[in-house]
Amino acid sequence: MSGETAITVSATVNGRRQTFTCEARETLADALRRRCQVRGVHLGCEHGVCGACTIRFDGVTARSCLMFAPQADGAEIVTVEGLADGDELHPLQEAFSRHHALQCGFCTPGFLMVAQELLAEGGPLTEEVVREAISGNICRCTGYHNIVEAILAVADARSGEAEK
Amino acid sequence: MTGTRHGHEPGVGGVGAVVRRHSDPALVTGHATFIDDIESGGTLHLAMVRSPFAHAEIKGVDASAALDLPGVHAVLTGAELVRHAKVQPVGWEHIDNQRAAPTYAMAVGKVRYCGQIVAAVAAESRALAEDAAELVEVDYEPLPVVHSIEDALAPDAPRLVPEWPDNVFGSQTYGNGDADAAFADAEVTVSERLTFGRQFGCPLEPRGAVATWERYTNRIELWINSQSPNRVREVVAEVLGVPVSGVRVRVPGIGGGFGSKANYYGEEILCCLLSRLTGRPVKYIEDRQESFVATSHAREQRIDVAVAATRDGVITALRGHIVGVLGGEISSVGMGPVWLSAVSIPGPYRIPNLELSVTGVLTNRTPYGSYRGWGAPKATFAMERIIERLARELGVDSNEIRRRNFVRPEEMPYSNGVFATLDSGRYEHCLDLCVERLRRDGWYRFREEARAAGRKVGIGVAAFVESTGIGPSRVMARLGIAQGGYDEAVVRMDSTGRVTVFTGQTEMGQGMSTTLAQLCADELNIPVDQITVVMGDTDACPYTGYGTGGSRAAAVGGVAVRQATGELKRQILRVASHQLEVDVADLEIADGLVQVRGLPGYGRTLADVAYAAYRRLTDVGEGTTPTLQGRAVFDPVALTYANGCAGVVVEVDPATGGVTVLGYVMVDDCGTMINPQIVDGQLHGGCAQAIGGALLEDLVYDRNGQLLTTTFMDYLLPTAMEVPPFSTVHVETPAPNTPGGMKGVGEAGTVPGPAAIAAAIDDAVDDPAVFVRHLPVSPEQVYRFCNAAG
Repeated sequence: MSGETAITVSATVNGRRQTFTCEARETLADALRRRCQVRGVHLGCEHGVCGACTIRFDGVTARSCLMFAPQADGAEIVTVEGLADGDELHPLQEAFSRHHALQCGFCTPGFLMVAQELLAEGGPLTEEVVREAISGNICRCTGYHNIVEAILAVADARSGEAEK
Repeated sequence: MTGTRHGHEPGVGGVGAVVRRHSDPALVTGHATFIDDIESGGTLHLAMVRSPFAHAEIKGVDASAALDLPGVHAVLTGAELVRHAKVQPVGWEHIDNQRAAPTYAMAVGKVRYCGQIVAAVAAESRALAEDAAELVEVDYEPLPVVHSIEDALAPDAPRLVPEWPDNVFGSQTYGNGDADAAFADAEVTVSERLTFGRQFGCPLEPRGAVATWERYTNRIELWINSQSPNRVREVVAEVLGVPVSGVRVRVPGIGGGFGSKANYYGEEILCCLLSRLTGRPVKYIEDRQESFVATSHAREQRIDVAVAATRDGVITALRGHIVGVLGGEISSVGMGPVWLSAVSIPGPYRIPNLELSVTGVLTNRTPYGSYRGWGAPKATFAMERIIERLARELGVDSNEIRRRNFVRPEEMPYSNGVFATLDSGRYEHCLDLCVERLRRDGWYRFREEARAAGRKVGIGVAAFVESTGIGPSRVMARLGIAQGGYDEAVVRMDSTGRVTVFTGQTEMGQGMSTTLAQLCADELNIPVDQITVVMGDTDACPYTGYGTGGSRAAAVGGVAVRQATGELKRQILRVASHQLEVDVADLEIADGLVQVRGLPGYGRTLADVAYAAYRRLTDVGEGTTPTLQGRAVFDPVALTYANGCAGVVVEVDPATGGVTVLGYVMVDDCGTMINPQIVDGQLHGGCAQAIGGALLEDLVYDRNGQLLTTTFMDYLLPTAMEVPPFSTVHVETPAPNTPGGMKGVGEAGTVPGPAAIAAAIDDAVDDPAVFVRHLPVSPEQVYRFCNAAG
């Protein structure tokens, strides 16, 4: 019911300390969207299947629709807004655009967060590995083909640099 | 960017160029605006009380406890709604005996499907509105449920509309030649009963609307993620009794549409009305569970199909009888998609004798509306399945049957006498390319090797045509559709020489803003990044007869943009002609200049010409109207037909009944391609939806009319694990009636895949007793196919 005790939460969101009050039952996704103004967190299902609301939470990806906002107290959160360096797109963002790996773009923030984590793990990437890694995210527009290509292209560019 | 095929300098990004989409940077950084990002101060949030019964009388609604909750502003019920709102219009009234089933924005007196809106609660927050919705007491008197086609057509069936003698919304038969005689004289006949499951567009972003009804100006501003803002505007005006000019519809970024957002719904009406009643902006965002019961369903049909043929495999007659499983209320497209399935069964084939019929029955299910592909996937499923059946009967390769019956290019335009006039295409060539690509990609060899190793691998092929570029206004009128089929466009050059395109089309991820900019760039020969496309605002943008759907945005809207740009270009040249004292015919636009042909560099910059046209009128000559703006209205003379062929490779696991799609070739002729990368993207996405439709997606009802699949754990959308890499092949046969030759590609990917997958499963199981008759094919069914003997 409404009128519950307001809870104060303090978290780092995309490098900036944010303090907000929320209801105990409020999801982290809603709090990020409505109280922290990070609108790149998208809600496609609110039951943890589609992955559009994926964020990085204390270093690992998490579905913000399945977490309560008070759980974020003291946490370090990165959303899709935190990927680019100013006006300079993250290589994944650049590759998604170049390879037409997004259409409506609603699911894209979640795919980018998952892909970023996959690349950070640093292992060799094959098409199969990439498909498995993104299989927890749903895209209704692209048929995944170009998403896989974009991620592999970034991985290839990185390994190419490493060999130099 | 790459160069274009029209001899423009590289960098223009005109027709044929791969151009990065303008919308991408905002989307990949999380800064794009979707409907849930629209919220002004003081906004109230709506939660719906939805019926838990599929069929019931509403004896009473007690909202007092909800209204007592602090922060709740209003609870609207059907009894109150009818004092303010008229019935929801049905756009498609094209069946001769189509009945009227007045549908309001919410249930009035009776519910006819689970999830129908019974009350709408407006409160300070969504969570509070949901709390209050749970406090609304509704007294239902359950009624017998009509679950299926058989239920609906039973002589003693409960009737959804008591005034009707049965549950048939409409029924019509279309014919050509003499099918009875052809069947009677036939050397061979085959027939099948097929069924296609219930599915829906299911965009990842659910529907939403934010309405502000300004009390003192009596104007409504409605933000909505609709594919058809102009239609929504007219519907809101009609239902709420305000002038069309009193409604401004605005569309933010759309998180996928797939036709389901082309229909119009009750929720937007309720937002407007509750804004009027509360004096506050009112917002509604459908949640995922609601989307399964509240967003138009589609696809579900029973199809009886038969062909008569010679022993040589020449088809002499076709019968197709389709029953569409409509819902408990009629959606904005009536039974349009079911009708299109029936009249589209002949597909790319030359069949002289046709008997095609369509029936739509009401059931206690969610209303039936649009989903990408509309009638075409089921029509193709029917035709291609019966060709496979005939091929087995004759012991001939099914591709041979296709070849013997394809309408050939030299026969076009070819009218099948029922609906389609096939305008252009090389159907056999597309089939050849499909087989060739399958071979080149190694799939035939792979199949043989896999089979030798005891694996069940199969290849299936399906050819298709689909009516695109909907639709000529005269066709719309003939079909009794109270909408035009044209598009209007306005193209302006500002005083600095930059260009803005204004269109009634919408961007829902298909890249239309980029594509339209490319057409404009092509016509003006200026770089595409100097062009801005404005869409999604009915106060600022031109009218479109039908909105964005029916694979028409490029083939109709794009032509209007091109023609308006042509008019703009004439004005630019006229001004420059006066400035340069050179005849218009001797001028061209190149390298940012209006220059004299043959004298590169001799001319004025576009910026200078534009400046003169707006701000230095002494330069433009007596009698020249200031400003630079072109306007055009394009109404096609005929439908066009995109076409092609899909080839799918599957492996069946006899132990689990699982089907894995290993390979997927899509040959498509969408006429002239504007942006090949976007075309590929459209095909990929459509093919993935075909895989979902053939293997995964199923809206399942129990006998009480309860929808059992209301989460993504039950309604299975394909993930990257179920979808293979795609191999696309392009054929470009320009549409003869479309200036520029575009046919449209938005839907094609969904069309042949289901039929091809069915054929591939047959081939993989490789048992003469096995024939896929129902989609989606469940693992249980496949297990039975594989273990029939056991």
